[in-house]
Amino acid sequence: MADTRAARAVAGGFLFFGLLAIAGCATPLQLERLAPDSFPDPIELNAVAFFPQEEYQCGPAALATALAWAGIDTTPSALAPEVYLPERQGSLQLEMLATARRHGAVPYVLRPALDDLLTEVKAGHPVVVLQNLALSWYPKWHYAVVVGFDLARDEVVLRSGLERRHLVPLAVFERTWRRGDYWAVVVMPPERLPRTAQETPYLQAVVGLERIEHWQEAGRAYRSALRRWPESLGAQLGLGNSRYALKDVTGAEQAYRAAVAAHPNSGIAFNNLAQALADQSRWDDAEAAVAKALALGGPHTDTFKATADEIRKKKNATADKRR
Amino acid sequence: MNRNFRVTETLLMNKLRRLARPISYIVTVGVLALSVHLPAVHAAVIGTEAVVSAQQAEFDRTRVQSLLGRAEIKQQLLAAGVDPSQVSERVDALNDNEVHQLAAKIDQLPAGGDALGVLVFVFIVLLITDILGFTDVFPFVKKPVRR
Repeated sequence: MADTRAARAVAGGFLFFGLLAIAGCATPLQLERLAPDSFPDPIELNAVAFFPQEEYQCGPAALATALAWAGIDTTPSALAPEVYLPERQGSLQLEMLATARRHGAVPYVLRPALDDLLTEVKAGHPVVVLQNLALSWYPKWHYAVVVGFDLARDEVVLRSGLERRHLVPLAVFERTWRRGDYWAVVVMPPERLPRTAQETPYLQAVVGLERIEHWQEAGRAYRSALRRWPESLGAQLGLGNSRYALKDVTGAEQAYRAAVAAHPNSGIAFNNLAQALADQSRWDDAEAAVAKALALGGPHTDTFKATADEIRKKKNATADKRR
Repeated sequence: MNRNFRVTETLLMNKLRRLARPISYIVTVGVLALSVHLPAVHAAVIGTEAVVSAQQAEFDRTRVQSLLGRAEIKQQLLAAGVDPSQVSERVDALNDNEVHQLAAKIDQLPAGGDALGVLVFVFIVLLITDILGFTDVFPFVKKPVRR
């Protein structure tokens, strides 16, 4: 029995790697599938700053370029201690995202599609890309920033290494970028949405800001999200939560009210509304809201119960004082 | 020698005794502060993350299902003698984390999920064979128990 399983695994492995090998050679570049007149005009974002990189420090240089564009003043040497790992002579993608967040920007990882990358550049957003400049089995990793392209002349413009305008043929660019798994990120100021943003991934990016308690920026980013997705529960709740954290209880209440109106099935929205009302000593309204949350139930029922208990206690305490 | 040691020992003990009271105050205040603080941690606004991760699961599931729902894929499955609705049911049975891994795999496909490249096809075939228990490429796919 073990034998058949092993045989099956071996056969599966052969099938997998065999097909993968063929596919690897045969997969056409995405640029061949670009619609012919999708990007007719040359684009170049001349205003994007340039930081010539020091040895190996392409990560800090690329990130500083993007952050400076987003209106956050910094330099590669200031960022280096945060993103650069000396023993690896490079920066990890996750560190790049975390550092962008620590500086109050919203890093949004694009879908691995050339179309999306060009769309962002066309919208005026420089895109940080990870490239493997050498070969998959002998990698030379590099971060650069795409700031323009001219498809008629078959050129991509990069801020890269020591070159302010590094011109690469589109196919060469795509091959090096493909070896970097098509990793691309736009570093946005919270007021501005990426052109290709999708609701859930964008909210995930903002939740990262919330986690490190950058409430001001998170609040602004949730607002931007609401402009494009006015019904979004995550954005409504997030706006409420960031206002609440900034002690703007009435503002939080407003956002939570919008959330429960659009999503009457969200116990979390009712719980948070109850909390904001309780903070304003509006006990009856708070109790009504938390009762709704409890009736809806779900995985956060314990928190709902705790909220209800606390409201009852505080209400009784104030009633006692009055007496 | 011995007496000397004893003298220092009593000195030390006295010092400790004198310190005992302030230390006990500090500890009491600390414990009280903790216990006063605890209920506030429990009853609070619930973070946005809770909602967004639920939303993420929904988003992932739709992406996987829409890939499976494409006409070319359905055709390939039927040609291989597999009932597409059965596969889609199996995907529904995966938990959030498993679906997330699956959707992440789709993102890594070279086409980014648009035109049906060779790798997409390989991926789907392997996913199906995994689900049916012939292969074991994706660790997150639940295998049918075979005896």
